Amino acid sequence: MADGIRRPVLAPHARYRWDKVRSEHQLVFPEGMIVLNEPGKAIVELCDGRSLREMVAALKEKFPGAEPEDDVREFIGQLAERGLVHDAAE
Amino acid sequence: MMPPRELPRPRALLAEITYRCPLQCPYCSNPLELARYKSELDTATWVRVFEQAAALGVAQLHLSGGEPLVRRDILDLIRAARDCELYSNLSTGATVADEKMIERLREAGLDHLQVSLLDTDPQANDWLAAAPSYDRKRDAVLAAKRIGFPVTLNVVLHRHNLERIGEVIETAFAWGVDRLELANTQYTGWAFRNRAALMPTRAQVERAQRVVDEKLAASTGRLDVVHVLPDYFEEFPKACLHGWGMVFMAVAPDGAALPCQTAREIPGLQFPNVRDSSLEEIWFTSDVFQRFRGTDWLPEPCRSCDRREIDFGGCRCQAYLMTGDANATDPVCHLSPHHHLVAEALAEAEKPAPPLAFRVMRT
Ligand code: SF4
Ligand code: SF4
Repeated sequence: MADGIRRPVLAPHARYRWDKVRSEHQLVFPEGMIVLNEPGKAIVELCDGRSLREMVAALKEKFPGAEPEDDVREFIGQLAERGLVHDAAE
Repeated sequence: MMPPRELPRPRALLAEITYRCPLQCPYCSNPLELARYKSELDTATWVRVFEQAAALGVAQLHLSGGEPLVRRDILDLIRAARDCELYSNLSTGATVADEKMIERLREAGLDHLQVSLLDTDPQANDWLAAAPSYDRKRDAVLAAKRIGFPVTLNVVLHRHNLERIGEVIETAFAWGVDRLELANTQYTGWAFRNRAALMPTRAQVERAQRVVDEKLAASTGRLDVVHVLPDYFEEFPKACLHGWGMVFMAVAPDGAALPCQTAREIPGLQFPNVRDSSLEEIWFTSDVFQRFRGTDWLPEPCRSCDRREIDFGGCRCQAYLMTGDANATDPVCHLSPHHHLVAEALAEAEKPAPPLAFRVMRT
C-alpha cells in the first residue's frame, strides 16, 4: 500500500494533462481528475520509476530552498490510495 | 459569447454515440422508447461537438452507447478526441471487439477501455445479457491486457449476481485488469421498471461488503477496486454528478444535450440539440441546464439542510420516478417526506423476486 511504495510510477490509466481553458495542471483518470498545483505537477512528472530519494533530490534542484520530503511522501501516499501510482518493482 | 463568470465549466462529456447494442441488459439506463432516438449524429457533427467541448473546458470524454463499437467511424472519433487533447474512455460490452480492433483503438489514441461483465458465471452472464457474450468479453479483456491497454472491468451488481462478488474479484485478478468497478444498479431507465427483480436484500448487501473487504485484505496483487454501495441502503442520497449542470454534460445519439444521462425520463424538460446550438450556448444559457443548477431551486427539507452543497438534494430522475415530482428531495434521503417509498422497495426485496423483463429494440 501507500507507505510501501519506493519507486512510484503513474498507473497506466492516469494521464497528465495541461488544461488550456482553465490554465491548470490535471491528472486525469477514468472516473475523474485531480487538479495539480506546481509542486504536485512536478511530483507527478517524476513518477517514472525513480526512487523517492531521487525524486526529492530532483525537486530540491527545481525548487531551491524547498524541503519537499514530507510533501512527496504524503502526496504519493494519496495517489497510491486512489490507485493512481504503484511501485515500479511490483 | 462571454460566459457568466461565476458559473463552472464542464469537465466531462459523455458522448452516447449510438443506442444500438447487441446486448439487452435488464438494468440498461438508456431510454425506454428507443425508436424515438434513432437518427444518429454523423461523424462531422460529433467531431465538431468534441472540439466545442474541449474549448469549453471538457477534459474527459466518455464514448459510450449502446455499444459504441458498432459505429463504423469509431476510430475516426477517437482520433478526433485525441486531436482535441481530450482524455478518452470507451465503455463497451466488448462482444464486437476482436484483437485487431483493440489494437486499432489503442493506435487511434484511446486512453482507457472499460469493459462490462454481467456475471462471472458464464451462463448467468449470457442469460442476463440475453446473448452469448461471456467468452468474447473475456477474450477482449485478455487481448487488451496483452498490449498493455489500461482496462477497467465494470460489473453492475444486483440480487442475481451479488452472491458471486468474491468470484468477480478473483476474475478481475485472473484477467489482469487495472481497475474493477463494482457498481450497484441505479434504479432509473429500464432498471426502475425491473426494480423488484433486481433489488438485493439487506443481508446480501452486507455480506457482499464483507467479502470485498476480506478479498482485498488477503490479496497481494495490484487492483484498484471501486465499490459503490446501493444508495437505497444509505442514509443520504448520492451527489449525482457533483450537481446538475456543474461539471458534466451528455450528448445523446440524436444530438440532444442532457445535464444527466437519464434526464429524458423527466417530462416537461426541453433538451437543446447540438445540431442547432453550440455546447457553450447550451451549457451557459439553456433552460434545462439552469433548471436544477446550484441550490436556489431546492425544496425543503434540503433548503435548510447543511448538506445541500454536498448532495444538492440527490438525483432528479429518482425523485421524479418515485414521487412523480422532479423538484422533490431524493426519497433515498432519510429526511425526505417520501422516504417510506424506499423502505417499501427494500421490504419488497425481502420477498421472492418477480421475473426479469428484458429489453428488446424493435426496429
Ligand atoms: S446496459 Fe447493456 S443493453 Fe444497455 S446499452 Fe449497455 S450493454 Fe447495451
Ligand atoms: S435533506 Fe436534502 S440536502 Fe439534506 S441530506 Fe437530504 S437530500 Fe441532501
